[in-house]
Amino acid sequence: MSVSPDNKNPRDWKALLTRHEMLLLYVLIAEWLFFYFAGTTTNRRGVVVGFGTLDRQFDILRHSCEIGLLALALTPVIITAGIDLSIGSLLGLCAILFGKLWHDGGLPIPVAAGLTLALGALAGGLNAILITALRLPPLIVTLGTYSLFRGLAEAITHGAITYTDFPASFLFVGQERWLGLPTQAWIFLGVALGVGLLVHRTTFGRAFRTIGFSLEGARYAGLPVARRLALVYVLAGLIAAIAAVIYTARLGQAKADAGTGYELFAITAVVLGGTSIFGGSGTVHGTLLGVAAIAVLKNGLACLPVVMRMNAAEEMSGLLTGALLLLALTASVLPKILSRFRTPHHAPAP
Amino acid sequence: MKRFFRELSVLGALAAVLVGMAIFAPAFFSPQPLLSLLTREAPTLIVACGMACVIITRQIDISVGSMFSVCSVCAGLLAARGWPLLLVLPASVALGALLGAVNGLLVAGLRLPSIVVTLATMVTLRQGLNLVRQGEFVNLPDRVQWFGLSQMAGQLVLVGASVVFLVALALAMRHVAAGRFVYAVGTDAEAARLAGIRPQLVTFLVFIFIGALTGLAAMMNLAQSPQVQPLSGAGLELKVIAAVVVGGVAISGGRGNLWGAFTGLLLLACVSPALIHLHIEAYWEKAIQGAIILLAVVADGLRTRKLNR
Amino acid sequence: MKKILLHLCTAGAVLLASLVTATAADSKLVVAMLPKSKGNAYFISCKVGADKAAKELGIQLLFDGPTDSNAAKQNEIVENWITLGVDVIAVAAENKEGISTALRKAQKAGIKVLTFDADAMTDARSFFVNQATPEGIGQGLMDEAARLTNSEGEFAMIVASLTASNQREWQKHIEARLKEKYPKMKLVAVRPCDDLKDKAQSEATALLSANPNLKLIMAICSPGVPGAAEAVKQAGLTGKVKVIGLGLPNENKRYVHAGVTDSIILWNTGDLGYLAIYAGVALAKDELKQGAKTFKAGSLGTFSIAGDNILLGKPFIFNKANIDQFDF
Repeated sequence: MSVSPDNKNPRDWKALLTRHEMLLLYVLIAEWLFFYFAGTTTNRRGVVVGFGTLDRQFDILRHSCEIGLLALALTPVIITAGIDLSIGSLLGLCAILFGKLWHDGGLPIPVAAGLTLALGALAGGLNAILITALRLPPLIVTLGTYSLFRGLAEAITHGAITYTDFPASFLFVGQERWLGLPTQAWIFLGVALGVGLLVHRTTFGRAFRTIGFSLEGARYAGLPVARRLALVYVLAGLIAAIAAVIYTARLGQAKADAGTGYELFAITAVVLGGTSIFGGSGTVHGTLLGVAAIAVLKNGLACLPVVMRMNAAEEMSGLLTGALLLLALTASVLPKILSRFRTPHHAPAP
Repeated sequence: MKRFFRELSVLGALAAVLVGMAIFAPAFFSPQPLLSLLTREAPTLIVACGMACVIITRQIDISVGSMFSVCSVCAGLLAARGWPLLLVLPASVALGALLGAVNGLLVAGLRLPSIVVTLATMVTLRQGLNLVRQGEFVNLPDRVQWFGLSQMAGQLVLVGASVVFLVALALAMRHVAAGRFVYAVGTDAEAARLAGIRPQLVTFLVFIFIGALTGLAAMMNLAQSPQVQPLSGAGLELKVIAAVVVGGVAISGGRGNLWGAFTGLLLLACVSPALIHLHIEAYWEKAIQGAIILLAVVADGLRTRKLNR
Repeated sequence: MKKILLHLCTAGAVLLASLVTATAADSKLVVAMLPKSKGNAYFISCKVGADKAAKELGIQLLFDGPTDSNAAKQNEIVENWITLGVDVIAVAAENKEGISTALRKAQKAGIKVLTFDADAMTDARSFFVNQATPEGIGQGLMDEAARLTNSEGEFAMIVASLTASNQREWQKHIEARLKEKYPKMKLVAVRPCDDLKDKAQSEATALLSANPNLKLIMAICSPGVPGAAEAVKQAGLTGKVKVIGLGLPNENKRYVHAGVTDSIILWNTGDLGYLAIYAGVALAKDELKQGAKTFKAGSLGTFSIAGDNILLGKPFIFNKANIDQFDF
């Protein structure tokens, strides 16, 4: 019987993974029910309003598509024990480029969108080259590109230009429904499916996990580490570009400050979903649950009468997301810590 | 000479910028604005020293901006309530140390990655402050500004204090055991542990250190102005990390020194006034700063590649 | 099995708790107010007036906004309010076109929409409570600048950010007025301060040094005025370089008294909030209709309406003589 590197039976390993996602699912259901009962009322016009309405649920879906996409983009990155802090800024840059290509370049929307995706991938490629060819730590590279991309977006638009007046057929993508769901939800599901297949069903996904588990080990095992790493960062750039197009469609405008602050929520969603920040393990369905949990929390809070009375919905959601991230992180390492206490310390050899 | 090539090259870049300014915009060197610039950057220098230590130990702390805001507001409120400055200063430092200890506990105690921990504390602190303060300025009594001294004296005191601190800390890093422990832990934590150093303790203390320094910096900032804006300190973490990284402190830990951080800080702080003096539009600022950071990082990477060949 | 049972019990307990806290239908009118950013003292002072109006009218006021100016967040908040079923939404738009998308949806859902401080597109709201037209503000600032510099010389502008809609609007009118009436004056630089007082101070210091002939600094974002004033004071140029801007009296009192800042142009922000709430409630009750020429708002009296702009009045100039009478 083959022994896996961490000496655990493969089946136990799987059970361990599903347990985290099941917990998250329970939390998601519990908070959803809580907000349903505490946040749904009837207003003075006799209409049922608040969390429990279908409109609200669709809104939650619609608002979380962009962050959800960024979280999906980050999942393979974090699985390889890397990180990408620049995707929020890249969203802003791609939104601007999209607007510029359409408005100043006169290109039809689909062409402009396609070019934007290519440019997003290219920008991701910049991260990729610096990380793989120069072996620079992803943290500092993406910290630099975080500033650079945002700076470029501001420089191109002189900070002031906003692109608007997009045709209604384009705005349909961000603001209307198609076959029952908000349009962008279909795109989101498509990307989720794609990334999910990549991470769970292909050798690429296996390579990501191996690289995250041990970079040197992966190299010695003969994996094309540089190519795989490059793939995750280019993919992240591509998905950020998709999110940028959806963002523009939803708001009806492309501005340089698009996507500011999205990195935090994306990283929180990924970590919440059970992907280890140290790399080596992680699931796409975990990330999706994480995104859902955060979106429901944010939106549900805004429906609670007590929060509304305090006029504190924004601060509370930020506060709770930060706290939630800390909790999730602590919970993820707790088993390790507890086991360290249980195993006896090695006595020095006589 | 070769050992400090990185730091010297940043110094060279700074010199090049200054020479450029001397040629194209000599007004840059008028004494009063320069002194004001240095005074404004003095608190940032203090935090940069702390950040250099943190990054050398292979960690990172992006919550310093929020810690700075919280300490500033608390110190301001205490001063406004009549506390003498002699008590407000240690209070601010203690508060910063406390906040830093929280980060330290999570990173050193629970072995969590510092980037995510400090990301979480950054947001929690900032939003908590917003919730409580709602953005309202804190008006300070007159005795606070410049510690009650004249403007020139106050500015010289602040700049002088920051330089003295820099020198003292730089010497300590070289010659005091604790300083060498920082480098040891950053180079190879396991080897350090085998050598008898306790890496987790060092990491914990480093976070407390930067927290305390942030409290000190908040106090120095307080003494420059008759009011405190709660939003102040936003973006401090990026500024400081950029300065430190540009100055040659490697994010992979174990190398770099405070002089590099100092030079890096000056270089980046010059960008905005340089643009103003050269009459270049404001929207280039971020792009230029991002480019400088990336250049520095790429230079580091190329050098490491060459060494490893 | 045990684990599932445990989880079911927790969920059940949570449910029970939430049932207890669930509220019954509220019969109060709900007005939701959206500032550009919650942490901004300017909007907080608007809220004071709004709270007063809400109390007088016996309605429920919701006040929420992004913690820093963020157009996307504004849209999300409006959409949240639509599903919450509020009766009126009053918005200070960070971005004109962007917010209009969400506002039109609100109107379609039967919610009355009005804007205050910064307008959206005209078809997306019923009325705009205008503290003063952007032209009025721009011209007022430019005229005051000209008055202080004898209509000639260089001046510089400090703005909050290069992207905020109404900042650009004011800048446009200032520059138009400059071109039209003051050919001997020159605008040498426009620098953003990201709504940070400290940054405004640094920018102003450098501006003073780079432009030795600078005669005036105009700061059109409220944290920028004390920042610029401090820079002028520290440079020892009090009186030689004038400082004016849009700002709150309380933040600038000491500089006005010290002679560093000459005038602050603003309007009574509390009145703005008060008027917005009264107008909103009147809209909801169908007492305020299109085509009306005047509107009476509680204790503030009657205001004139120009088209669909409810005018608060002319911008007010705070200076040494009158600034102490105000406390916001």
